[in-house]
Amino acid sequence: MFSNSEITEYEQVCIIVDFGKGSKVMQTAKKYGVSGGTILLGKGTINNRLLELLGINDIKKEIIFLVSDNKTINNVIEQLEDKFKFTKPNHGIAFTTSVGRVFGARNYMKGHIKEERGEENSMYQAITVIVEKGNAELVIDAATEAGSKGGTIINARGSGIHETSKLFSMDIEPEKEMVLILSAKDSTDAIVTSIRQKLKIDEPGNGIIFIQDVNKTYGLFK
Amino acid sequence: MNVLVTKLKEVLYAVLPITAIVLILNFTLTPLDDLTLIIRFVIGAISIIIGLSIFLFGVDIGITPIGQLMGKTIAKSNKIWIVMIAGLLLGFFISIAEPDLHILAGQVDFVTSGLISKTSIVMIVSIGIGALIAIGLARIVYNIPLYRLLTVLYFIILVLALFTSREFLAISFDASGATTGALTVPFILALALGVSSLKKDSKASEKDSFGLVAIASTGAIISVMIMNIISKSDKITGSIEPVENGPTSIMGPFLHEIPIIAQEIIMALLPILLIFLVFQKIYFKMSKKTVKKIIIGLLFTFIGLVFFLVGVNAGFMDVGRSIGHSIASLDNKAYVVIVAFVLGVVTILAEPAVHVLTHQIEDVTSGYVRRKVVMFSLCVGVGFAVALSMLRILIPELQLWHYLLPGYIIAIGMTYLVPKLFVGIAFDSGGVASGPMTATFILAFVQGAAEAIEGANVLIDGFGMIAMVALTPLITLQIVGFIFKLKSKKEGLIKDVQ
Repeated sequence: MFSNSEITEYEQVCIIVDFGKGSKVMQTAKKYGVSGGTILLGKGTINNRLLELLGINDIKKEIIFLVSDNKTINNVIEQLEDKFKFTKPNHGIAFTTSVGRVFGARNYMKGHIKEERGEENSMYQAITVIVEKGNAELVIDAATEAGSKGGTIINARGSGIHETSKLFSMDIEPEKEMVLILSAKDSTDAIVTSIRQKLKIDEPGNGIIFIQDVNKTYGLFK
Repeated sequence: MNVLVTKLKEVLYAVLPITAIVLILNFTLTPLDDLTLIIRFVIGAISIIIGLSIFLFGVDIGITPIGQLMGKTIAKSNKIWIVMIAGLLLGFFISIAEPDLHILAGQVDFVTSGLISKTSIVMIVSIGIGALIAIGLARIVYNIPLYRLLTVLYFIILVLALFTSREFLAISFDASGATTGALTVPFILALALGVSSLKKDSKASEKDSFGLVAIASTGAIISVMIMNIISKSDKITGSIEPVENGPTSIMGPFLHEIPIIAQEIIMALLPILLIFLVFQKIYFKMSKKTVKKIIIGLLFTFIGLVFFLVGVNAGFMDVGRSIGHSIASLDNKAYVVIVAFVLGVVTILAEPAVHVLTHQIEDVTSGYVRRKVVMFSLCVGVGFAVALSMLRILIPELQLWHYLLPGYIIAIGMTYLVPKLFVGIAFDSGGVASGPMTATFILAFVQGAAEAIEGANVLIDGFGMIAMVALTPLITLQIVGFIFKLKSKKEGLIKDVQ
């Protein structure tokens, strides 16, 4: 029953660009065959002493998620890279991860294509941390201490088992922050350990971390 | 450094149009004889650009976080009396410190020959705003639809207006604009956002982020009207003193304004800072780093506003008056109406609170409602407002209520048709549009024109202009909302924005 989705390999691309470029990225992606995507607003970090001192250390970002079969994705990313120059500093980053199954996307009924292009092998991993609102900065700090170059913060809402509540006539879901950090494989452990210690993630109710392997990255600098 | 460049660009786009228009006018229709005036105008423009950039950063990292935290903390108390009392106190303290309110109160004191004292107006209006902010917060937590509350509030205003004297009608509507200044608006916006962002239903959360500014400004209207009805002071006796010819030096006015404005802004920021520190001690308990960042933000807000207001007061006001005067002296009166429209359009771009609101709209709707769209409709709205005000000065038979009554009937009627998100945005824009830029530059322009037009009373015709600026965006933005609604229906796949 899932045969439609299982014929081809799917990949998810996550592209992080400056605020305002999101719609353009999406249009380009659609032009080259991706049927749709989702844009989120997030905050990125920058490392600049002066700005840090002035307190202006976050910058608005847009995060675009696209899912498609890997041939289309490869093509799209090349085109996007051409257009938005991820390879230059501060022009945004993109990375792809594998996706198990796709539902609800009917256009993906293409033939079986399996071709491996190992332009960049998976040297990176994506660390996702979900914490209570207000703690994202701490996560970033902890990660930076352990050698991360920065991260992207997304405002989110969610609730664990005990957390939905009602104030007056409003149903409340606690606010969360999601932190997305890309790290080289060999420093992932250090970063995760640092976050776990600083935020006491292992105690119940303090948040969760998960790690995904990344297939390819664009626009990351060592 | 990217951030700074982006912000500077945004501000340049905001301030350059008005600078260009004024300079073009200077070289074509209305040459200003006085060269110092032009130099002062250019210095003013530079000061405004610097000030606005710093101010916007300050709001982002100082005022907005405080407001949001406060909103959340209040709502989480889960006790209605805490919400009401906190709303009342917050509203009272921030509006009692608003410099614009003091200026308006001073004028009213003056025109009623002291019958209504300045302090009593400031106190009563502040209580009115506090009460309405409390009601506005209660509305969000109890999920009462904004359009219903607005209908009730404006119905009360209509009834009160029947008993209010003509002059005070203008003053009361102006008061609503005056109290929603550059500092109060970002704070009230953030307060509403703080409470509504807790909501589980994301659509409700989105639309309830707006509307609190609108509700707060009706508080000012209602309280001034009640005061007029009780005190029966309907005689306006004074008239504005002739404008003294300012000092001829270039820097003089700037140096003169700096200490005055600095003091006003300190007064206005103080309550916000104190409330924050008290809350921080008792409830927030944030890390030192965060507190430091917020304090830096408040400092930016202060520096930015001082630069901005000094630029406007010392550089722009006299130019506005003299342009108004010389254009109105031209034989063809069509010019003055057209120029009024154009100035209205470009002035609103430089209004600080407008930037805060449009950014918040973009954030809350995740970019669905773009800044440019809101900005554009605001510009058109304010352009019409200034042009219509000018028409009213030219044609003495035209009364303010000839505009206000149909205007508000249309605005309230539309709330039942347009997507509810836009109702909040539109009514908030009304309060936002009438900020320091309008209250100084455009007002000076209108007064300058009134001086040159026979039969126009500078003072009486000057009142009521801000009321118009607060009204027209309600209509233009709701029209935009209506267009959004039609568009999303056509595409079929996108759900209705309601």
